[in-house]
Amino acid sequence: MTSARGAFRRWLPRVPVLALTIVFFVTLGNVGLLDADRLRRAVKNLAVFVGGLFPPDPSTLPTLSVAMLETIQIAFAGTAIGFLLALPLALLACPLLFGPAITGPVKLALAFVRTVPALFWAIVFVVAVGLGPAAGTLAVALYSLGYLGKLLYETFDGVDAEVIEAVRSVGCSRAQLARYALLPEAANSILALLLFMFEYNVRASSIMGFVGAGGIGYYLLGYIQLLRYDLLLSGLLLTLVVVIVIDRLSALLRRTFLVPVSSPAPAE
Amino acid sequence: MIEPGRPALEASDLWFAYSAGRPILRGVSVTAHAGEITMLLGVSGSGKTSLLKLCKGLLAPQRGTIRVRGAAVVTARRSRLDPAVAYIPQQLGLVRNLGALDNVLMGALGRVPELPSLAHRLPLGIRQRAEDLLTELGIGHKAGDKTYALSGGERQRVAVARALMQEPDVLLADEFVSQLDVLTSREILTVVRGIADAGVAVVIATHEIDLVERYADSVVVLRDGEKVLDRRVRPDGTTDLAVALRR
Repeated sequence: MTSARGAFRRWLPRVPVLALTIVFFVTLGNVGLLDADRLRRAVKNLAVFVGGLFPPDPSTLPTLSVAMLETIQIAFAGTAIGFLLALPLALLACPLLFGPAITGPVKLALAFVRTVPALFWAIVFVVAVGLGPAAGTLAVALYSLGYLGKLLYETFDGVDAEVIEAVRSVGCSRAQLARYALLPEAANSILALLLFMFEYNVRASSIMGFVGAGGIGYYLLGYIQLLRYDLLLSGLLLTLVVVIVIDRLSALLRRTFLVPVSSPAPAE
Repeated sequence: MIEPGRPALEASDLWFAYSAGRPILRGVSVTAHAGEITMLLGVSGSGKTSLLKLCKGLLAPQRGTIRVRGAAVVTARRSRLDPAVAYIPQQLGLVRNLGALDNVLMGALGRVPELPSLAHRLPLGIRQRAEDLLTELGIGHKAGDKTYALSGGERQRVAVARALMQEPDVLLADEFVSQLDVLTSREILTVVRGIADAGVAVVIATHEIDLVERYADSVVVLRDGEKVLDRRVRPDGTTDLAVALRR
């Protein structure tokens, strides 16, 4: 009896691992990844696809470059509009400035906007304003609003409580508190968030064209449908180069403008 | 300005707890007089910071009253606090991304027109006063420097200048020289002595007994949230303070 109880105790910690393993394999089966025939076909298709990618065909690079510029413009304008809308909403969602009667509904609205994928917003705006980069820009703006709104109000929440207390102590209003304490103290994070969102939006904007919302995605989808994987690779490489350049520029901007997080006082 | 020697801040029978449980302060009463420095002495966790925040209106007591110039202190989570009570927190609460002058100008926010101030348009007289204060405190040449680039002593002076921009009747300072070297802390406390001599009631929370004899007019000792000693500073030493702190 005692040895049976001992064996049970030894096995007990392994039960969750065993259960998870079973769930994992059942899931793989359900999604079709344990189908040997399908996997064999997939490997064959992938070989054809990868074979078709090389060598990349640069003949459409001039067209792709123009489309890439449009993609960057969609990302830039979308991020800027999203930020301009997100900033006041983030302040309205900040508990340091407003009570739950205001912060609650604003946070709920931002959560709703965030829940909807950017591509869905693109479809909505293609219906609203027609095909082209205007729809893509509005989609990126709305998506950025949802994310930046949340990230900004969380940044404001994280501002050093002593700074808030010290500035409140001078007898300032809520607007003055936001202007003189929250925004300058959060400036580092705001810049970092903006750069991150822009980088993210460049990638997101490159598939806006899949639903006719402008940018390089329109061409990428076309090349896939025409089975011109060599042209597709050129487009992907161009996107990669642009993303790397933007990443480097962001790093440069961060180094130039961001205040060091920890800045010990110089020696007396 | 209140007449020197008259009570500027009167806190009476204060009880305070951050949440249900053992109160941080239990029936503490403190009076600070205009033109004097009152030192709140106590070890960490004795309730000094909470008492100062209550006096500023940043916290609301569960019981008791606080009056400045005879009027009840405004306690509000989101609306304006009384600028006549200046407060310097332990880490000073300076805005790191702004320059020294901008931090000092903040002290005037409670008494300038709100809308222009949001566009950083402040009356010329206010700007001149802020520059003069920085010069008087010996850091006029650092007015444009970001506060994160200033030394500890310079930051302290900026915090003092910001408090003075409020034209306060009461100045509350929380352990604000504890991180400075002896020489710089003496310089800063000499400045604060001058502020008190000009008629401001100064309350400084500290755990350093040796500052009391040199700079304070009266001393209050807190232990475990209770006041255990409250007396004028005497020339005959601080033995009783050490006993009161540790007993």
